[in-house]
Amino acid sequence: MIVVDSLTKDFGTVRAVDGLSFLVEAGSVTGFLGPNGAGKTTTLRVLLGLVSPTSGTATIDGRRYAELPEPMRMVGAALEASSFHPGRTARDHLRVLVLSAGLRLTRVDEVLAQVALTESADRRVGGFSLGMRQRLALAGALLGDPQVLLLDEPANGLDPEGIAWLRGFLRHLASQGRTVLVSSHVLAEVQQTVDHVVIISRGRLIRSAPLAELTQNHAADVRVRTPDADRLRAALEAQGAGVGAADGVLHVSGLTPPDIGRIALREAVELHELVQEESDLEQVFLSLTDSEGSQP
Amino acid sequence: MTGLLRAELLKIRSTRMWWGLLVGALVFVAIQVVALILVSGQQGAPSLDQGSTVRTIWASAGTGSTFALVLGILGMTTEYRHMTITATFLATPRRGRVIAAKLVAHAAFGVVFGVAGAALTAALAVPLLAMKGAPAIPTSTILQVLGAAVVGVAVYAVVGVGVGSFVRNQVAAIVAALVWVFLVESLIITLLPQVGKWLPGGAANAMMQATSNRGSLLEPWAGGLLFLAYGLAFAALAAVTTQRRDIT
Repeated sequence: MIVVDSLTKDFGTVRAVDGLSFLVEAGSVTGFLGPNGAGKTTTLRVLLGLVSPTSGTATIDGRRYAELPEPMRMVGAALEASSFHPGRTARDHLRVLVLSAGLRLTRVDEVLAQVALTESADRRVGGFSLGMRQRLALAGALLGDPQVLLLDEPANGLDPEGIAWLRGFLRHLASQGRTVLVSSHVLAEVQQTVDHVVIISRGRLIRSAPLAELTQNHAADVRVRTPDADRLRAALEAQGAGVGAADGVLHVSGLTPPDIGRIALREAVELHELVQEESDLEQVFLSLTDSEGSQP
Repeated sequence: MTGLLRAELLKIRSTRMWWGLLVGALVFVAIQVVALILVSGQQGAPSLDQGSTVRTIWASAGTGSTFALVLGILGMTTEYRHMTITATFLATPRRGRVIAAKLVAHAAFGVVFGVAGAALTAALAVPLLAMKGAPAIPTSTILQVLGAAVVGVAVYAVVGVGVGSFVRNQVAAIVAALVWVFLVESLIITLLPQVGKWLPGGAANAMMQATSNRGSLLEPWAGGLLFLAYGLAFAALAAVTTQRRDIT
């Protein structure tokens, strides 16, 4: 279990993390969300003993990272896709880590296969695409076969294909019962993968809750604006949809926008607006990002 | 600790940088040996008739020390430049041990640079000195000078690691070190020998006996001890500056 307790970190006069507390339960996949500059990376770096906190603690299974006897066997971390020597091969990069951490050298080939980099193992990292670097960073995190994984923006710079691969990979890791804390500033990247979210902004906790709790209240409705609301409502309800109405605007649940469009066409009802509303989680997240943007 | 040392050695071996620096060091050694022998006795340059001149030529074996210094600087600053220091400290949170392994690994490569320089010096000096009819100097003196050169080059690599952990910006660290070695320090040694002999370069020169005018420097043994002390000081600097630093 990861425990962040009243964590504060100042860099000079800048307070990067401000009294942050949250828990990550063992075996959960937690999204660590917040706009850029919210303090996610600093929090992860304190958790990993790379940055010393101004006050407060961040522990893994009750111990600071530096106190863990064999840290890479307990915690794997992929912090940024750019931290490689461009002149070193992928295999040598991993070998260096294996030697430093006292792991078996056979792990190198195993993790390379896990992230599908076997064929590029002996190429210098300088020639790698961003997606390949992200996968190599993941490989490094997996070397010690750890129960806990901390991944900082692993989807950054990935193309849609890479993001799809990453989703599958994270689901695979979670299915093995590992604890995963994955940070992102883009909700959509992790929404399909995580079961818990911790949202922070300007170094402070905004919300920590199961994903289901945030989304269940406002399962995304479809907003429909039409001058002929009554007739469309009857037609939609005949299809089993739930419909709420106010001022000529219908909030429809249980049907997709294409379904509603087809029904409206069949009924020859004029549509002025047909919009998939955003779920609560996205609204929470967007309002954070907005307030962040409006601040000086 | 063995694993850490192997990791640090692999870090150096697994990129091509050290080859380039070794070649550079050997080119410097070759130019120094050949130039000293060719100009000897001409236009005020010391004559080969004197044993001290011959000894200075053998001391050219240590000329590659600046390249070992740069190797050490790169060994540390590259970790910060490419942020591999993050993965390094995740694998081994005990930073003091990482620094110790890095110092030993670079000293070992410094020994390689020094031995290569000594071998090249011998390969060039023996035939050229014979051709010029230079007087023989005792083999024990030659071995002492070459041994001091190997130690000197190795300690310079250690000093480089210290400089690199203090000045983490790679370009700044290298420029500062080169300006110091080639400009500031050599000027002080020439113009203010009373001060210069206490500087790292002066101490290293004394140890390697790399001057025909030995009177302006410390005794070889004293220079050697002082230079080793500089090496230890820079090694301590590396450990202290790295211990509590935030890796961001």
